[in-house]
Amino acid sequence: METGELILNIVASTLRLSTPLLLAAMAGLLSLQVGQVNIGLEGLMLAGAFTTVVVGFWLGSTWLGVLAAIIVGMLLAALFTLVVTRFKANLIVSGLAINLLASGSTAYLLKVLFDTSGTLSPASLESLPTVNIPVLSDIPVIGSLVFSQSPLVYVSWLMVPLTALFLYRSIPGTHIRAIGQNEEAARSVGIPVRRRQYLALMLGGGLCGLAGAHLAVGDLALFREDMTAGRGFIALAAVYFAAGRPRWAALACLLFGMFEALQFRLQLISSTPPQFFQMLPYVMVVVVLAIISARKEWRKGW
Amino acid sequence: MKTSFVASFSRTLVTVLLALLVGGLIMQLSGKDAMGAYQVLWNSAVGSPRALANTLLAATPLIFTGLATLIAFKAGIFNVGVEGSLYVGAFAAAWVGFTFVDMPGILLIPLAFFAGGLVGGLWGLIPGYLKARLRVDEIVTTIMLNYVAILFTNYLVTGPFFVPGMANAMSAEVAPQAQLPRLMERSQLNISFLLALVVLALVAFLLRRTALGYEIQTLGTNATFARWMGMPVARTILLVMFLSGLIGGLAGAGQALGVHYRFVGGFSQGLGFDGIVITLLGRNTPGGVLLASLFLGALRSGASTMEMFTQIPRDLIDIVTALLIFFVAVEVTVPKVWKYWRGGSKTQMAASGSER
Repeated sequence: METGELILNIVASTLRLSTPLLLAAMAGLLSLQVGQVNIGLEGLMLAGAFTTVVVGFWLGSTWLGVLAAIIVGMLLAALFTLVVTRFKANLIVSGLAINLLASGSTAYLLKVLFDTSGTLSPASLESLPTVNIPVLSDIPVIGSLVFSQSPLVYVSWLMVPLTALFLYRSIPGTHIRAIGQNEEAARSVGIPVRRRQYLALMLGGGLCGLAGAHLAVGDLALFREDMTAGRGFIALAAVYFAAGRPRWAALACLLFGMFEALQFRLQLISSTPPQFFQMLPYVMVVVVLAIISARKEWRKGW
Repeated sequence: MKTSFVASFSRTLVTVLLALLVGGLIMQLSGKDAMGAYQVLWNSAVGSPRALANTLLAATPLIFTGLATLIAFKAGIFNVGVEGSLYVGAFAAAWVGFTFVDMPGILLIPLAFFAGGLVGGLWGLIPGYLKARLRVDEIVTTIMLNYVAILFTNYLVTGPFFVPGMANAMSAEVAPQAQLPRLMERSQLNISFLLALVVLALVAFLLRRTALGYEIQTLGTNATFARWMGMPVARTILLVMFLSGLIGGLAGAGQALGVHYRFVGGFSQGLGFDGIVITLLGRNTPGGVLLASLFLGALRSGASTMEMFTQIPRDLIDIVTALLIFFVAVEVTVPKVWKYWRGGSKTQMAASGSER
């Protein structure tokens, strides 16, 4: 493969691979901003992927499957919100429970409903059709690379500015950030805290449902047990890496998507172990958090 | 205010029964015979000496990871990184086991456990140091470092310690004398279960009877007070994270030497995370950790047999465990909400009284 071709190849798969990360990261960002970090992103995505394939297959329409995935993501997120706000359950424990519930019930249902384990790829289920953006997709080289994608890829690009606008330019978004800063203060000025918590987390659930849908029908049309493979945590890493800022989180997702793309390509031409690239996002977060904190401590005159 | 053991035990029991009930409901809804399934589950978990041994075998790593999580919780540190310590500990133990093949078992086994515990503890020191010195939130770092540990050990067995001819990512087999002696024929139950009980006793002793234990508990209940008292807070955090990682490393060593007889990439499937469930269910006490581990161990070991005989997927156990976590969380708060409602407003109380 020529170098030029290789680079284009990597760009194309970076865009595709960063889509679920972008969607899940926006969900993680909403949860961080409202002060209820959701480490169950992984589970919400997995449930979304499963729902897309099953409902899409049953109803004979992939898009209805995607819609169902959004709904299931929101419902699971509502359950999470209920236990962490009303019942004051521990955030981390509840997030882990969501992950466990999702992986357990998808595997269970796969065996009970379809009598298979591992992979489900119904022959009649089609993946989402590639959408060519008019005019832009005709640009030589770049056009077909960037503007000829699965529809949810564009959706993920839209979600980044939308999330930013929602959080920083809308009233509910401002409420959400206020609650994240100080819940008691927010309550005392009359912000409907509980409702906003549900809003932020359930929007996130819907985004995770979409992320799962992209994994399931964005490219191929199948569900595999644990097909999210830690992407929820990589998205969370992007959020912490960006200290909760949408733009930086999006950049981090692109970067982490690129690592994933590189890991497949470079295996062919170099001896860099793939685990090295898989590890990078996690290592980078720890390093960045350490640097941020070290600077804070220095300023305090430590 | 301390709730009595009997009270918290019976409340947990109700919660557990509720989760099993919902699990049964799920089975019935998917057209299976729930009662029959639970009967099979019960028999294959405790029905025979061999079944019982397998339950204890499944409980062994859970006791370790539960204690590892517990000791950190007690100091107010949310260590989600036991999984990572478990992986690096398992690899270190396996490495000792397949490297020093000429050593007699009586030396090799303790050395392997020592290596596993040490490496696990050092792994725990990374987030520990970041928390103690730089005040980096340990929850995020421990979650992230888990993946680093899983991927790094996976790299070790596919790269430098690759064994030609092996289909999956796994190390060479440990020397025969490093494979843990079994406690019973026809079950893999081995001496690491006894080690788990010893560690349990040590942790209980440490927490209740030593100065360090007092420091840990004070740090956990009131960090500001601990600081004002002049306690060496940073040192205590480091020590706790080392101990927590050490116990997690022992869990990994026990699995590598007693179950797989080698290091298998990705072998744990969340045993470290289970530690959090175990401490939650065990109400943050060493005795509770033991009971919760035995319970979850019984479910896990019974589930495979249940799947074989009743065609009910063993993944049901994961659903039941998740429900259990939610129910415990809810059950802990419900009495408080109830009390608040009753005591909070007199009129409400009067109203509910007159309704009756």
